[in-house]
Amino acid sequence: MKLLLVEDDTLLAETLQDALGLAGYPVSCLTDGNEARERLAGRHDFALILLDLNLPGCSGLEVLATLRSHDADTPVLILTARGAIEDRVRGLDLGADDYLAKPFALDELEARVRALLRRRHPPGAHLQVGPLAFDGLAQRFTLADEPLNLPPREQRLLGCLMRHAGEPVDKAQLAGEAFAEDTVGDNAIEVYVHRLRRRLADSGVELRTIRGLGYLLTES
Amino acid sequence: MKATDSLYRRLITWLLLPLLGLGALMLMQAYRSAHDAADRAFDRLLEAASLAIAEQVKWQDEQLWLDLPPAALEMLATDAEERVFYALYDNHGRFITGNADLPALPGGDDSLRFADTRWHDMTLRVGVRPARLDSWSQRERFEVRVAHTREGRDQLTWSLFTGSASRIALMALLAIAVVLLAIRIALAPLTRLRRAIRHRDPRTLAPLDLPLPRELAELRETLNELLARMRRVRANQERFIGDASHQLRTPLAGLSARAELALRQPEPAAWRSALETIQASSARTARLAVQLLSLTRLNNPEAAPAPSTLDLVAVARDATRDAFAACHRAGIALELDAPDTAIPLAGIDWQLEEALNNLIDNARRYGARHVTVRVQADPPRLQVEDDGPGIPAERRLLMLRPFHRGAETGDGSGLGLAIVDSIARGHGARLTLDDGRHGQGLCVTMTFQGDRA
Repeated sequence: MKLLLVEDDTLLAETLQDALGLAGYPVSCLTDGNEARERLAGRHDFALILLDLNLPGCSGLEVLATLRSHDADTPVLILTARGAIEDRVRGLDLGADDYLAKPFALDELEARVRALLRRRHPPGAHLQVGPLAFDGLAQRFTLADEPLNLPPREQRLLGCLMRHAGEPVDKAQLAGEAFAEDTVGDNAIEVYVHRLRRRLADSGVELRTIRGLGYLLTES
Repeated sequence: MKATDSLYRRLITWLLLPLLGLGALMLMQAYRSAHDAADRAFDRLLEAASLAIAEQVKWQDEQLWLDLPPAALEMLATDAEERVFYALYDNHGRFITGNADLPALPGGDDSLRFADTRWHDMTLRVGVRPARLDSWSQRERFEVRVAHTREGRDQLTWSLFTGSASRIALMALLAIAVVLLAIRIALAPLTRLRRAIRHRDPRTLAPLDLPLPRELAELRETLNELLARMRRVRANQERFIGDASHQLRTPLAGLSARAELALRQPEPAAWRSALETIQASSARTARLAVQLLSLTRLNNPEAAPAPSTLDLVAVARDATRDAFAACHRAGIALELDAPDTAIPLAGIDWQLEEALNNLIDNARRYGARHVTVRVQADPPRLQVEDDGPGIPAERRLLMLRPFHRGAETGDGSGLGLAIVDSIARGHGARLTLDDGRHGQGLCVTMTFQGDRA
């Protein structure tokens, strides 16, 4: 699972390369906008792209536009010194998936990278939240190495929550991502959440309700 | 205002147009008086000729008889070669003798009368003299009519008129010259003011000091008031820059000193502790730089973006979602308390998100465990409440000033609330700082004016 980092500041680039490498993500690094645009104009095998906006050559937004012209799937995380939310909106409009303003904490960056990769997980990937694990190949959940047998709808709900582990997911999002084909009402979602919560009780993983924001799957 | 509009042109138009009108009136008047003068002069000839004729009228063979004196007609024919007519009429208006049947003139008392008439396609000046025979036996009434064409009169009229017209033209030229000169002199202070402004050093905000007439002095005072306001703004900015550079320099000095000290120490444990301090301090300094930039942008009235209609609930949800991960990692419970329906408001979404981010961030940094973002309608209201240490009531107003920090132990920059205050003011919202619900913590509220978009 290789990542691409486009960043012209060598100190920051090397540090991020080392940090993400230690976290298990090999990183290729480019420092020039034009170089990055050429590299991303055709096929590539990066699982995620970390993109600075202020680049020599051509701007990160242009690199993003080039990438998005033929590749809508690879997640892009924008890193920029322009702090204003105004700029973030522009980046997200152009098809970036997330945005991190410099300066940022390394663990914040790692968390965002993990979240983005999880969200775009290829079928068959392995997901883990505390003692709860999902084997994508076998489409099976295990809780503390014990198989966890769930009805199909609860299984889809838990899969969606695991992909978003650590961030709250609201009912509309759950309805769209977990039950895209059939219509599931808010009340039904509440019932499934209630059942899941009972199954996960005292397991080291809990399903919290965050007022106003939705449901959060997290380690206790 | 049109590009061609100018005071000079206006003055010229409004002074010269009436002047031209006046000149035209004077020319008309000059023509009329020339005409009258010519008529008066030539009417004397008609009078003399008619008198000469009347004196030759006699009573002979029981009727009026005229022995025409040649001189009487010669005096009517001047150099201009007018055609001359005469006729004698009796008491009952019957034609007695003459070379033309001239028309009568209305009136009919005993005095001499003159008038212009059209006769056989000619304009004639006719003089009519009523008279009577002067002998002892006969006192018969009769009327002598004399007339001539107007060539001589027109010639005289024209020569009189051209004489006065040239004098009027000369006076008009003089008047125009005086008007132009007067306008130039009257507008000279304006030119001086313009030069004084143009030659100023663009960096100086010193008041304009030059003697000007009253009307322009008012303009100068207005300009000076504006300059004074700008001086105050600049003084504020300079103080801010001074504060900012101090605020940035202090942690940088700390960083440098800490690194230097660690390099002198041989134990890795000391390096580790130094690195931890350096990391925390540099993160704080970087955040300070971001906030300084943001505050500068907010306080720049030139770069104020146009408000659009937004949904306050969506703004609050986005901001809360963004801040959630950081709070969750720090073990802080962050909640959103908002109605299900949208609350429309005219505003700038990214600024409101930034305000909420700063408030949530402040709560996190100053030791809150529980933060609630609340949205209310009627009036539209954004609220961030925490259960941290709060701010004593008497210090709350000070907190809105840049670089005033609440708890000295916190790792805030002292700019968060100043940024929120700027954003609130930009949105015409009232910013209030209160105790939290249970008497502890801080509750910051932005209440927007009721003008819901």
